[in-house]
Amino acid sequence: MAKKKKRPADAPARSTAKPQLSQRDRKTLQDLRQLADSVVQAAERRRDPHIDVPARSLSNVRYNKVRRYIEMGSAKNRRQLFNLSQARVYMQTMLVASGCKQLIDQGKTNSIRGLFYQLKHTIEGTQEETFDTQEECDPVIEDLEVTLNALREELHVFATNRGNLVGELVLVDSGDEIDCSRMGSAGYSIPSIVEPEVIQFRKCDAKFILHVEKDTVWRRFNEDKFWRKHHCLVTHGGGQPPRGCRRLLYRLHHELGLPVYCLLDNDPWGYYIYSVIKQGSINLAFESTRMAIPDAKYLGLRSIDFERCGLSNSVKIALNENDIKRARQIAQYPWFAHKKEWQKEIEQLLKNRFKMEVESLISKEISYVTEEYVPARLREKDWLD
Amino acid sequence: MRNTKGAHAATVAAAGRTAPSAQVHGAQAGTENGRPAMAPAGEAHGGSGAAQNGQAEPRRRRATAESMAASQRDISVSEFFAKNRHLLGFDNPRKALLTTVKEAVDNSLDACEEAGILPEIWVHIEQTGPQRYKVGVQDNGPGILKTQIPNIFGKLLYGSKFHRLRMSRGQQGIGISAAGMYGLLTTGKPVKIISKVSPRKPAHYYEIQIDTKKNRPEILNGNGDGVDIPPGEAGRKVIEKHGIEWIELDHGTRVTIELEARYQRGRASVDDYLEQTAIANPHVTLHYIDPEGNEQHYPRSTERLPAEPKEIKPHPYGVELGMLLTMLKDSRAPTLMQFLTQSFSRVSPAVARKLCDTAGLSARAHPHKIGRHEADKLYHAIQQTRISAPATDCISPIGEELLLAGLHQVVPGDFYAAVTRPPAVYRGNPFVIEAALAYGGTANVHKVTMEQLAEMLAESDARTMRKFLMHTFTGVNSDAAERILERAQLGVRAMPARLNADEVARLHAALQNVNLDEGQTMTVLRYANRVPLLFQPGACAITQTVASMNWRAYGLSQSRGSLPTGPVTVLVHMASVWVPYTSESKEAVAAYPEIQRELRLALQAVGRKLALYLGRRLRVKQEGERRGKFLRYLGEVATAVSSINQVDRDELYQRLVEVAKRKTADADVRLDERGNRVEAPAEFGEHVLIVRQQEPNTPDG
Repeated sequence: MAKKKKRPADAPARSTAKPQLSQRDRKTLQDLRQLADSVVQAAERRRDPHIDVPARSLSNVRYNKVRRYIEMGSAKNRRQLFNLSQARVYMQTMLVASGCKQLIDQGKTNSIRGLFYQLKHTIEGTQEETFDTQEECDPVIEDLEVTLNALREELHVFATNRGNLVGELVLVDSGDEIDCSRMGSAGYSIPSIVEPEVIQFRKCDAKFILHVEKDTVWRRFNEDKFWRKHHCLVTHGGGQPPRGCRRLLYRLHHELGLPVYCLLDNDPWGYYIYSVIKQGSINLAFESTRMAIPDAKYLGLRSIDFERCGLSNSVKIALNENDIKRARQIAQYPWFAHKKEWQKEIEQLLKNRFKMEVESLISKEISYVTEEYVPARLREKDWLD
Repeated sequence: MRNTKGAHAATVAAAGRTAPSAQVHGAQAGTENGRPAMAPAGEAHGGSGAAQNGQAEPRRRRATAESMAASQRDISVSEFFAKNRHLLGFDNPRKALLTTVKEAVDNSLDACEEAGILPEIWVHIEQTGPQRYKVGVQDNGPGILKTQIPNIFGKLLYGSKFHRLRMSRGQQGIGISAAGMYGLLTTGKPVKIISKVSPRKPAHYYEIQIDTKKNRPEILNGNGDGVDIPPGEAGRKVIEKHGIEWIELDHGTRVTIELEARYQRGRASVDDYLEQTAIANPHVTLHYIDPEGNEQHYPRSTERLPAEPKEIKPHPYGVELGMLLTMLKDSRAPTLMQFLTQSFSRVSPAVARKLCDTAGLSARAHPHKIGRHEADKLYHAIQQTRISAPATDCISPIGEELLLAGLHQVVPGDFYAAVTRPPAVYRGNPFVIEAALAYGGTANVHKVTMEQLAEMLAESDARTMRKFLMHTFTGVNSDAAERILERAQLGVRAMPARLNADEVARLHAALQNVNLDEGQTMTVLRYANRVPLLFQPGACAITQTVASMNWRAYGLSQSRGSLPTGPVTVLVHMASVWVPYTSESKEAVAAYPEIQRELRLALQAVGRKLALYLGRRLRVKQEGERRGKFLRYLGEVATAVSSINQVDRDELYQRLVEVAKRKTADADVRLDERGNRVEAPAEFGEHVLIVRQQEPNTPDG
């Protein structure tokens, strides 16, 4: 263990890759060191060390009516080393902190999966692993983010890429200029970290953004060159959009002033995706300030679309108990509670007793969604807010 | 029946055409035209009755009353038991050996205690042929008078114990003579007895066989008188000539019986019986030489003889109508009043008068004049009247201290508790229930040596390894057996006798290493009047009561209606002037509600003590686990912290360990406070033995 301790001071190790620390890195290191020092101080005073982790639950979020997004409250969960049920996760938190410190020291970044492997080892003298699965590691990383009030990228950690973008936009990604209108059939893969240091917008002819739920529908729009015809960007986030995707939407919306329209499934999960894009997520409420797009609009699918578009019975998917429960829950969220249109929408969904995916529009006619449905909604300004 | 009738009717019908007769009509009417013209319907349908009537020839009688009377005669008790040997515990050769040893030892112990002598017993079993063993049991008792020897050993149902109400091992006077009879039946060899009454008189030697027809002893040697054994060298020669042994004592008795038997170790073996006898009789010294010549000694752990049990008169509640009639007839008392006060315990003149009044009988009536009807009234009067419970000083229980000592000597464990209940009464018979419990320690599978194991395997008649393990070792259930076999990499169905040396070695290692605490069932040692009960556990009130209790409340795991699991041995002793066995072979105690109630109370008492102990042990263990868990993570935390801020890793680790220790100590106190009692060390009460206090096992630190 002494080896590890000395490493930063070791001359050869430093000479190979001691990168220039940025201002942000230095601040992050400072925070990490404070966290470590608190343990030492507690031990010196014979107290049990603890970390106060802001609570990431519905009970600790507040809907800010003025700013129109979810804010995290001040409630904190104390995580103690000398508490049987918390000892392990406390140890894991400190491990993640030391892992991030290493990454910053070496000027490298790692994926959350990579970090999991970096930190996973058998605890000395036992058969126990520090982390059993990545699912155990991921929330700990998020805990550290909120605790240090640092972003994931500031900890030099990123998630896997998910989500694609296509449209009339030229950007620079890590120094490479990319024309998003010339990206072939697969489009531009949205990276996990899209901060201005990494991505700069060069040129934009698009007038708005259409965000769809999944890859299938996105491909439909790309193949039909919808973005060219309507001068827009088409994005998808592979279901619940990852933070990279949301952050990029935020920057496009705020920096380039592009309105965001969402085309999502007509089910509670689709509603919640819209809710996350618009107000921020409950789990990551601390990121709302830099991710929420309160002006995002919900184009569809709507509960009334089955009749409005004359869809066939085969597209209906029966609501299960879970769906019904979730739908009622969403209707109760403060940011939906006072919106009559939304209450009507959810009520209609429950009345229908079935849900629909955006793909069901394709069953009517292959390009119905790109040539009729979306243009009509945009034309009529028929959307939910 | 239908068939015979049909066939019969057909032949009659055929005959009817040529030679009609009155006798045939009945059948014809029923069968030919279907109209019961002449015979009444009942007869026609009467089946065999009608057919028999129709039969011309009367059947020959098999036996007449006279011829039957000629073969009707007395059945002697001995003949009855010769044919029903299983009733006495001689169902198979293996059990026969045990029963023989048991009866002889029980008799010896009874005799010694009655004479106030600290018993010392020698048991020697020799193999004399295939399936043939010679059992010799000698005691240092008072010896038996010359004139009585034949009757005691050669006559069934002869003895001192049947007619009195006094706590003793033997009750009926069947046992040892039945063993002798069994030996005679299977080997033709007589029972050989040496008895010495005093140092001044020579030992007397008898060879006795039982005349099963007449239930009478026949003395074979010395013209029906037996012979004296001369002292010194000459005597030794005589003894040797007759193939017996004699250990020089001032007084004592040795009985030698040769019988067809089988010697096998394991559960319910002679070894098992003697071991259990030693537990319940800590005042006895036992010497045992088994057929392989191994010697085993159980020295006494106390010099104190159990208090002499007093003989009591029967209590009115325990007397049945038939018994009452006999007693009335046999009584020499001039009045009913005197009869009642003299023949029964707890019947004072006042109570006797009340009984007479209730029954509507004159107190001055002569007992012989009481008829069946009056006796019935008297019997009911007894049931209705409140009579105080019988005196209980006639019972001498083992006592808590000696129970603990005995159990500790033989059963390994960490924790022992014992309780003796106050005396209680069932059907007018006083009795005392005692219970003791041993927890923890290594099971006897751990004690077995490689050689013993190999021998047991060779001797076993079990078809499969699983059966072998379950039947040979106490406390191994099928689950545990399977785990052992899995560890030994042996098939469940392997033949025990066919294992090679390598496999035996693996099995031995597995027996030592498999933790049986989980799969182990509670061992229940049952005793009645200090005699271990080895058979029919399922039929016994003791086992039933143990299984019917909720042991989970005392910290053991148990599935409903079965014995609890865990490294537990429970000893239950019932002492009574009359133990209600379910059969003559004295294998199980009958389930009287009063007895079950006492059993339950005694078991609950030791159970509560066990719960306290287990609770404390669990707490210590949990605390240890807590500490262990913290310590496990402290290293990781210290490393992570020092990699961030470069503090000295080991120093930080030491500091954190100190905090951890303080924290877990804190938790100790809190737990006690929550339980609302800070326990003093003497929380278990009396009669508890804790061998070693389990220390928390903390992994490195």
